[in-house]
Amino acid sequence: MHKLGRSHRDKVQQFMTITGASEKAALQALKANLYKRYKDPYTDMILVDGITLLCNDIQVDPQDIVMLVLSWHMKASTMCEYSKQEFFTGLQALGIDSLGKFRERIPFMRSELKDEQKFGEIYNFAFGWAKEKGQKSLALDTAIGMWQLLFAEKQWPLVDHWCQFLQARHNKAISRDTWSQLLEFARTVDTSLSNYDAEGAWPYLIDEFVEYLNENGIISNAQSMTDWSKK
Amino acid sequence: MESKTIDFERGWDHVYKGIKQLRRILEGLPEPLFTSGEYVMLYSTVYNMCARNPPHNYSQQLYDKYREVLEEYITSTLSPSLRGKRDEFLLRELVKIWVNHKVMVRWLSRFFNYLDRYFVDYRSLPALNEVGMTCFTDLVYREVQTNIKDAAIVLIGKEREGDRIDCSLLKNVLDIFVAVGMGSMERYEDDFEADMLRDTGAYYSRKASSWIEEDSCPEYMLKCEECLKKERDRVFHYLRSSSEVKLIEKVQHELLVTYIDRLLEKEHSGCRALLRDDKADDLSRMYRLYCKIPRGLDPVADIFKQHVTAEGTALVQAIGAASNAPGVQEHVLLRKIIELHCKYMAYVTDCFQNHNLFCNALKDAFKVFCNNTGTDSSSAELLATFCDDILKKGGSEKLSDEAIEETLENAVKLLAYINDRDLFAEFYRKKLARRLLFDRSANDDHERSVLSKLKQQCGEQFTSKMEGMVTDITLSRENHAAFEDYLRSNSAAHPGIDLTVTILTTGFWPSYKPCNLNLPTEMIKCVEVFKGFYETKTKHKKLTWIYSLGTCNLSGMFDQKTIELVVSTHQAAVLMLFNTSDRLSYSEIMDQLNSTHEDLVRLLHSLSCAKYKILSKQPDTKTISRSDYFEFNSKFTNKLRRIKIPLPPVDEKKKIVEDVDKDRRYAIDAAIVRVMKTRKVLGYQQLVSECVEQLSQTFKPDIKAIKKQIEDLITREFLERDEENPNTFKYLA
Repeated sequence: MHKLGRSHRDKVQQFMTITGASEKAALQALKANLYKRYKDPYTDMILVDGITLLCNDIQVDPQDIVMLVLSWHMKASTMCEYSKQEFFTGLQALGIDSLGKFRERIPFMRSELKDEQKFGEIYNFAFGWAKEKGQKSLALDTAIGMWQLLFAEKQWPLVDHWCQFLQARHNKAISRDTWSQLLEFARTVDTSLSNYDAEGAWPYLIDEFVEYLNENGIISNAQSMTDWSKK
Repeated sequence: MESKTIDFERGWDHVYKGIKQLRRILEGLPEPLFTSGEYVMLYSTVYNMCARNPPHNYSQQLYDKYREVLEEYITSTLSPSLRGKRDEFLLRELVKIWVNHKVMVRWLSRFFNYLDRYFVDYRSLPALNEVGMTCFTDLVYREVQTNIKDAAIVLIGKEREGDRIDCSLLKNVLDIFVAVGMGSMERYEDDFEADMLRDTGAYYSRKASSWIEEDSCPEYMLKCEECLKKERDRVFHYLRSSSEVKLIEKVQHELLVTYIDRLLEKEHSGCRALLRDDKADDLSRMYRLYCKIPRGLDPVADIFKQHVTAEGTALVQAIGAASNAPGVQEHVLLRKIIELHCKYMAYVTDCFQNHNLFCNALKDAFKVFCNNTGTDSSSAELLATFCDDILKKGGSEKLSDEAIEETLENAVKLLAYINDRDLFAEFYRKKLARRLLFDRSANDDHERSVLSKLKQQCGEQFTSKMEGMVTDITLSRENHAAFEDYLRSNSAAHPGIDLTVTILTTGFWPSYKPCNLNLPTEMIKCVEVFKGFYETKTKHKKLTWIYSLGTCNLSGMFDQKTIELVVSTHQAAVLMLFNTSDRLSYSEIMDQLNSTHEDLVRLLHSLSCAKYKILSKQPDTKTISRSDYFEFNSKFTNKLRRIKIPLPPVDEKKKIVEDVDKDRRYAIDAAIVRVMKTRKVLGYQQLVSECVEQLSQTFKPDIKAIKKQIEDLITREFLERDEENPNTFKYLA
């Protein structure tokens, strides 16, 4: 993870020669520079402007799901801001000490979403990250936005119906339990709902969703689902 | 005893003479019986031949001779007489020779008795009577056993067909089967009973197959009862008692078990028809016949349940379709349901001996239709209204005390079938409050008796609040006496108006909206005086006044005559405004009174648009609008001196249902926590069923509601899902 590229190595060497510091310390200093670049002038945190600048630097859209993965590595507590600690944690975890490195790691971060286990962790992390500080539940609009983002990666055919259903019938915030159980639902229950256990401990909202699908005759269209999902 | 050795030949000679004499006696020849002296001689001879040291000890030889003698006797005398005989004759002859054989063995054993005493045990040989039995078995029994078994079974068959047979003969024959077993019933069971049972089975199978075609259910059942009785008699008269169970089981199987479906389902006379036609005797018989058969009653109970459910459902639908006035309809419905309940309870008690299966069948049936009244009101509300109608004044004055008690008792029984018991409690409490506060209760004893019946049925918690309400009324009366004393001793404090205050303990009584009505000064003074009195009694309690529940007697000075008006406190407040103003607009009244629009409209309507127009309204329309004007109607009169101006109560139904729903959410929450606290880890299905169980006394919880509460508890971090298995929950301490 800490293999230095040629030009990079040179820079570090330079730094070391000039300052007489160890390699490790040199790397730390480089990371600190990065932080200084993005941090807010008035508080010891990276805020929206800093994040925008970062996205620019690494050539990633701020709405890109990669930012979620990044935040996950940072163990960020809430979206749109990174504390100093969180920033450094992220850099450490990803082995980043320069912008070049940063850019290089983007594909890797994208690939992590394909890993079933990691996707689950990122998904569950997203709840805490996306909700308002101090709230227990996630606002519906934010939740829907997150779901559309996440399930674009994972390809769950029923995601649009789920969002429509919530807007039509629920209109309230989403609990953590519902959030995490939805992933289970998307993973384990097939699109024709043939293996859905109505007597099971699925959250109430998911039971309602199934009823909604049945009422509106969506389930019989399960066949066309599979084609449609390959957009 | 002479003690001399004796030569075998000589000794045996003597004994053998005695044996020959015995045989002649048995044959019935004129032979004198043994004298005791002769007997002693024979015994002693044997003794002498045995009680010696070898070589003069002839025990073994004598033992062998004993057997020889018997065998010889049997083969020469007994067996021949059996040959060529059949059927009943064979049986008779067998019994005769058996008797003879027994006598022979008995006497011989007496002669050879000394062998039994020592030799037999010493050599571990069979005792003499055993030897006797074995000889008979080997030489007689084995040859004839099949024939006598068949002959016996034939006789039994004849008896079944109605012929008279010689019972004592059969009994004696069967005694032989038993005796031959030598202590075990094996011979009786294997050589006779097995085939007898098989034959019985075949016999009844034939009979049943033709009876089931020709006979009606009651007729068939009568025949069964008779057959069973006859078989029991058979056991009593000649079969061994150990056969009874197997025999009855066999008969029951062929007659009742094999054809149970056809019998019960017979179209015009089967179980359903019997219930329809109230054939109590036949149903009792059906119960008697099937109660001993394992699972025999299950189909009967099932049909019973279906029948009662159908009757109840039809009843509910019929009354729903009838075009009576709403209140009457529901009253009739409940009375009819009670009648139905009494009718079928009688069946359960009388015909079905209070058997668990039938008690439960009745319960299940009633639960089905008691919860679907087909009207807007839930059955819980209907039942509460029904009780209220009986308990309030003018409700059931025509009925005797006993009849009232009985009706109330039956009504309470119905509560067991209603799911929403907590809803009933709330409605009942509301209506009880009205009865108590407006003095509408007909009879204190009945009120108390209903509460105690409810307590018995539903537990103490169910009725604790209601009992508190009744107590409050009693205490208030006492309190009032004290208040009057207070007024007497403080005449200056007297407000000038007679005042009675009822004090309600919060929590017992339903919650009432507080109101901020402006009272007339006269009333305010009353309130102050009472407050003063109350503070002398206790400083710890706070009084909140609920004027909406009060009544007031006003003197209406009309032109023609003064009429006493019995009105609610609020109505009185409105009327007394007209003591100072002749004419008031709606908004003026509103301002002065500080009421809500909703309440004011009701009040004004009751005083100006209803039966008694105490106020005249401009314009004289049927409804109250905010632009109306009101005047005291001095022209009003009535032939009565005293009239009550009713104020229709607000419909509290919606609020009651909401309150109960809220309470249920708390109850479910508490139940889940209780269960999880004990179990720590539990699967979803089990958690739900344990909650339902815990709450079953009060109401039947909706599964969705339980699910919602579980999720709420997860959010509040009381519970969490197990990581491995999301269907399992863990309690977070």
